Order: sequence, then structure tokens, then C-alpha cells
Amino acid sequence: MLDLIREIEMELEDGWEAASRVELQTAEHTRRAVARFARALWITAALLLVLNSARLVTWTNGFGVGPVQDTVVALSAAWNEQMGRAGLGDPSEAAREKLDTWRMMRWSDVEIRLDDERQRAREGARLLRGMLGEETG
Amino acid sequence: MLFPTIEFGIFFLIVFTVSWAVRWTPHWRKLVLLAASYFFYGWWDWRFMGLLLVSTLINYFAGLALARTERPVLRKLVVTLAVTGGLAILGFFKYYGFFLTSLSALLEMAGLERDLPFMQVILPVGISFFTFQGISYVVDVYRGHVRPERSLANVMLYISFFPQLVAGPIVRAADFLPQLHRAPVLTRAHVGVGTVLVLSGLAKKMLIANYLATELVDPVFFDPTAVGALDLLIGVYGYAIQIYCDFSGYSDIAIGVAALLGYRFLENFNQPYRAASLQDFWRRWHISLSTWLRDYLYKPLGGNRRGEAKTYRNLFLTMFLGGIWHGAAWTFVFWGAFHGAMLAVERHARRKLDEFAPPNSDPVGIASAVGHGAQHIVGIFWTFHLVCFAWIFFRADSFTTAGSYLAGFARWSDPNQYATPFLVGLIALAMVFQFTPRDLGRWVAQGLQWLPSPVLGLILGGGVWLIWAVAPEGVAPFIYFQF
Repeated sequence: MLDLIREIEMELEDGWEAASRVELQTAEHTRRAVARFARALWITAALLLVLNSARLVTWTNGFGVGPVQDTVVALSAAWNEQMGRAGLGDPSEAAREKLDTWRMMRWSDVEIRLDDERQRAREGARLLRGMLGEETG
Repeated sequence: MLFPTIEFGIFFLIVFTVSWAVRWTPHWRKLVLLAASYFFYGWWDWRFMGLLLVSTLINYFAGLALARTERPVLRKLVVTLAVTGGLAILGFFKYYGFFLTSLSALLEMAGLERDLPFMQVILPVGISFFTFQGISYVVDVYRGHVRPERSLANVMLYISFFPQLVAGPIVRAADFLPQLHRAPVLTRAHVGVGTVLVLSGLAKKMLIANYLATELVDPVFFDPTAVGALDLLIGVYGYAIQIYCDFSGYSDIAIGVAALLGYRFLENFNQPYRAASLQDFWRRWHISLSTWLRDYLYKPLGGNRRGEAKTYRNLFLTMFLGGIWHGAAWTFVFWGAFHGAMLAVERHARRKLDEFAPPNSDPVGIASAVGHGAQHIVGIFWTFHLVCFAWIFFRADSFTTAGSYLAGFARWSDPNQYATPFLVGLIALAMVFQFTPRDLGRWVAQGLQWLPSPVLGLILGGGVWLIWAVAPEGVAPFIYFQF
């Protein structure tokens, strides 16, 4: 019996020697950081699955032909359709349209926009001056 | 498997989860990462997994042999055999076709046409990178900078670790192997840095590099005779930014992914276009290759210790061989030789200037500070344009195309087609980031590291979603995969 206790004590002592407090703290920090980033990764995956379902369809369409592949393609198409109905594909399209507007822009468009901005600034200044004038007058 | 794809996303999710789940048994963790790395490499062409293994075994056994012998002659023989073996594999796969084509052309010129044994040799992806890592290991063991590794799994993982396997950064054994002997650690800082680097790398590659490639650089370089001087100028600026964003984007993602798996790689780019001299440029561009060339080529050649003439020769030879490393074509040879020659000229000019006006002889004052500032700005402008000139040869498929490109700079009256506000804006944006504070990324990472996981997930997911939403269709391979 005493031998058994001695063995347990030795195991505990060895254990404490093998893992210092700093090492245990580091291991705990690592566990927390891994769990935290794993959660972030799953949220990322879910977000992409919801907002970027069109890309999922493009990706699955690249699979070969076979019963499993056909099922995956059909599932992804159905998922994309559902997301489209719920309007979750709209932000992607809006972002794409905005970028396409910038891509198609010419220097003349930039000049027109700058002129508009200048005009707006001038009108703003005039309005402000008018208001100030009314207050002081 | 390219980084900005769904395949890689799923692959990383699995590797991250499994590798951290088995972290209590480091040996299993290494095996998981090793299997993942070979799977990643086999995704391109499974047949080349054997080549990767052979290259690794050569270096592993050379390391063991070096551990067992003290005799200098034998040690030199072992290191020579291992380096020659690695270079022979690289030489065959990368330069066989180039060598025979050049030889055939030479014989034809001399009127001695022969039937040469031409073969279609496929270039294994990443061969230049893993060969250089293998050489780094053997030479470091030989020099005593690294202990010979007894574990085959460690050497295999060092050479094949998937974030850096196909396009670098070239990781040194002295930096990586000690990390394999420690318990894997993931901190909040790792998570912050990893997230920032993955997002910035994706944005650089998917947005800036891909748009510049498809809408500016490819059409301009396809037929430089069809466009005017302004388009050619914007085209070469565009290529300078494209190659930077493409390659540094890859490096960012690689370093970020490694950080999220608990490993630290050194930085590979440090705002290279803010360099005020070519020497400075090479301290900032593809740092892992330039330091590799410095330590394993320039210094063994004698470095700057054997007089000025030999220093110039060593600089030239190092850059010349660096040019050949990039690709089996005479345009790459010219690119390397040009950089080597210009580095030698720059060094000589600086020496003469220092003799004429020693650096510490200037009086301290406003005029002196303004003078130094102006000199620095001129240096940045001059260096950027020298680098751009060399990029023309790097990008052009032949000397004829490069010649047409340069000749086109006389056509200033031709109307421009490609200098649109969008493309000019992309170039300007990338240039602005060359001059932002160096620690900008670190500050952002420090901000991210304390965010709760749902917010971090929304930022990461939102960032990837936005990049994918606005990026051009399809995923273009990274430029450095061909090297």
C-alpha cells in the first residue's frame, strides 16, 4: 500500500517537473487561441456559404460525372437558389456592380464627377453664407 | 491547390482542426502536417511526390553522414555530393530543354547541325524552392550552424511544409527545425498576425495583381507595337506592382497560414519600391532568396573581402546566377546580369563619391537635411525606374518583344487605351502602401488579436467574401509557381 502511494507521489513529482507552471499556462493560452480561431473559421465558412453560394455552384460544376458528384452539384444549385430567393446574393452583385462602374470609368467621367463635387461644394458654401447672413441680418 | 480557392479553404480548415487536436503528441502532429504537405503537393501532380522525397532523402542522409564524420576531406565530399545531387535534379528538370535549345542554336550558327536528344520535361512546381531549402540544410549542418537532424520526419516536414513548399519564402533550417523541437504554441498575436496577413495577401493577389494582369499587363506585353508610349509606361509600372502584389501576396498568405499553425517564418518583402538604391532594393525584395544567395553564393565566392575587383565580380556572378534561378530563358539571364552589373556600378560610384565627399563631412543644418532628403527622393525615383527597366526583360517572352517595348517609348503621340482611372488608381494605391509606416500591419494585427471570435470571424469572412465578390473571374496561378 505504501509503495503504491510512493508511486503516485513519484508520478506527481515527475509530472510537475515535466510541465512547469509557465508551460501549463502556455498550453492553456494555446487551447484558448485554437478554440477562438476555430470558431472564427467556422463563422467565416458559414458566412461564405450564405453570401457566396454562386461561387459554390461554379466550384461544384467543375467536379467530374458520377452519382455523388451529381448529388453535390444538385444540392449546391438548390442551396444557391434558396439563397438567391432570400436576397442573400444581392450584396455580392451590388459590390460587383460598384466595382464594374469604377472599372468602366474614363478620365472624362472623373472630370464630370469632380465638376459635380466642386459645384456641390460651392452650393453648400453659398447656402452656409446665406444662413449666416440671415442670422446676422 | 492554389491558396485563394475553396479547395484550399476546406483543406486548411481540416489541417488546422486536426493538427491542433493532436498537439499533445508532437510526433503525431508532425506526421499530420507532413501528410497534409505531401497531399498538398500531390494535388498538382502526384508523380512529383517521389521527386520531393528523393530530394529530401539526399539531404537527410547527407546530414547524418556529416554527423558521423569529423574528417574535413570527407565532410567536404559529402556536402559536395549532396549539393551536386540537388542541383543536378534541379538542372535536369528546369534547364534541360533550355540547354539543348541553346546548344542546337549554337551548333546551327556554326554550321554543325546535330540531332539532339530533345525531351518534353515537365517542370515540377516549387522545385527551385525545395532544392534551395535542402541545400541550406546540408550546408548549415556542414558549417555547424544547425545540428544534424536524426528524425527523418523533421527533415521531410522542413522541406515539404505546405505553406512555403511551392513558392517560398525559402525557410532556413536554422529558423525552422528548432521550432519542430518545441511544443506547438498558438497565441492571440499569432491569430492577429495570421488573419491580417491572409486577408492582405488575398487582396494583393486577387484584386490588385489579377486586375492589373488581365486588364493592363497581359495585353500591353502581348503586342507592344500596338500601343503608345504612355500605355507602355503604365504597362511596366503595372507589371512592377503586379509582380510585387502577386509574390508578396503569396508570401503573406504563406507566413499567415504558418503562423496560424504555430510556426514563424521571416518576412519576405519590406516595401521594396521605397528603396533608394539597388542594394537597398535587394534587402527588401524576396529577402529569403537574396539572403540565401548572399550566404550560400556571394560569401563563399569571397564576398567583399578580396578587393574591389573581386567584389564586383562576385556581385555580378551572384545576381547572374540569381537570374538563371528564376527561369530557363535568356531574358532572365539578362535580368540577373543587369542587376549584377548595376549593383557593381552603384557600389563603385558610391565609393568614389565617398572619397570625393566623405559622408560625415557635411555640416549639420537645414540645408544639409534638405539636400539629403532630395538625394533620397531622387534615389527612390532612380531605383524604381532601374528596376522597372529590368522588369521589361523579366516579363517579355523574348528579346524581340523587349526590344519592341523599349522602341515604343518613342511613340508619345499615340493615344492611350489602357491608362484608365481604375488601373492608374490601383497602381497608385499599391505605391502608397510602399510608403506607409512599416508597422501598419502589426498595429492592425494588435487590434484584431483582442476581438471576440464572432467579430474576428465576421471580419475574416467579410473580408474573404468582399475580395471574392469583386475579384476577376477565375483564379490565375501565382507568377512564382513557374520558377
